[in-house]
Amino acid sequence: MIPVSIQMRQALGKLVLPLLVLLSIGIIIAGQADRKLADKARMTVADGLAPLWGLMASAQHRVQAINTNLREAGRMASENARLQTENENLRRWYDVAVSLTRENDALKTALHWIPEPTPAFVTGRVVADSGGIYARAVLLVAGTDSGVHVGNVALAANGLAGRVTETGARSARILLITDIASRLPVMLDASHATAIMGGDNTPLPRLMYYAQDTRPIEGERVVTSDQAGAFPAGLPIGTVHYLHPGQPVVVPFAQLDHLSLLRVFDFGQALIDPPDAPGHVPLAHPRKTLTLPLKTLLGQG
Amino acid sequence: MMPDPSMSAWEPEIRPRQTVWQRLDHGARRLLPSIFIALIIVFFSAPLNIPGAAELLPAIVIATIFFWSFWRPTGMSGVAVFLLGLFMDLVGFTPLGVSAFILLLVHGVAFYSRFGLMRLNFLLVWGVFALVAAGACLLQWGLACLFRLAVLDIAPALFEALLTIGVYPPLSALFSWVLNKLDEKEDP
Repeated sequence: MIPVSIQMRQALGKLVLPLLVLLSIGIIIAGQADRKLADKARMTVADGLAPLWGLMASAQHRVQAINTNLREAGRMASENARLQTENENLRRWYDVAVSLTRENDALKTALHWIPEPTPAFVTGRVVADSGGIYARAVLLVAGTDSGVHVGNVALAANGLAGRVTETGARSARILLITDIASRLPVMLDASHATAIMGGDNTPLPRLMYYAQDTRPIEGERVVTSDQAGAFPAGLPIGTVHYLHPGQPVVVPFAQLDHLSLLRVFDFGQALIDPPDAPGHVPLAHPRKTLTLPLKTLLGQG
Repeated sequence: MMPDPSMSAWEPEIRPRQTVWQRLDHGARRLLPSIFIALIIVFFSAPLNIPGAAELLPAIVIATIFFWSFWRPTGMSGVAVFLLGLFMDLVGFTPLGVSAFILLLVHGVAFYSRFGLMRLNFLLVWGVFALVAAGACLLQWGLACLFRLAVLDIAPALFEALLTIGVYPPLSALFSWVLNKLDEKEDP
């Protein structure tokens, strides 16, 4: 301790505060004059404190994680209860489904039901189509070598995409349902009424020639119809949507603007040949009328 | 008997010599507010995304310094206030020395008026503190304007002043409790 008198010390004590105020003002001025030095001092302190801050931030993160975990656990408990009730419900439905399947099988057996053949299919990658006579068509890397034939049906992941129009040994061109050359017989799922779905090079093909007493309903499912013999019945295409009153279109299920994979099904429709009936005036085979113009066109070209 | 002529005679010898433990204890008691403020500064400058942290930090620091400066100046000396202000400047983004300057002024006001303040009841002390806090925030705003050479928006300064005034009663209650505890320990 520096030997000073009490009076002296009290005087010094009184001086400390003004001195410190002056010192801080000096620091303010010095900091303004030499900003680099001030920044350096700041960074040194920040560097020293960085581990501490890191520790606090990690602690905060951990607390937040625990908090979210707890909340998640609460949510999971309610979710679990909901799932259990749903599971009970579904178990009941499962029993119903099993008994219905058995009943169905029994009925089919009683009726001597002829089972439908399971269709053969190949899956191929879609490559963009640059040429060709169609505006909306894609090229598939699967051809006659893999069993793809003209007239086969191409399905995307969740709906009809189009049909095979030309085949090479290792590639096939598929006319999409949105092309202006595409005219498909379709069936409206709710009313079982038939119509024609005609592409117009827009993403939404139009519905035409539907019966005036069974108009398409907004949101109704549209499936293929087996009317012309080109498609098996019941392949999903899309839903009805009215762009304007009196102008129904189909919103396809398949995302036709960016197809990547397509399954090409051979439903064996061509093999179904109606037996000759004496006295029956033979109409042109519906499938052949669909494909003939194309073949002549190709033959000429 | 002649008084001892050595210089140690000037030391007050009313109390017996302290043991090491007692000294540590006293030191800790004196440093308690400063350590509290230092921890608060570190806590609020950490990247924790606390809403209003930029305004809450000076509010708590000003309230704490005011309280200890007039109730227990030994626990909050001018040097400690100066160092804490400088630390706050270094950690935060205020110009170097500004916080030290403002906190020293707050400390000075509380320190020199402590005998008057102690006689007042809490509400009046709070009123005085409100004036001091508003002055401090306005001073900070004025200095910021001076450094930028432009008139800045006064709304943040007012918000900070209100926050400072609002944060005083709970902190005051907390520190009163701490003081009571310390005093209980001192004279059992």
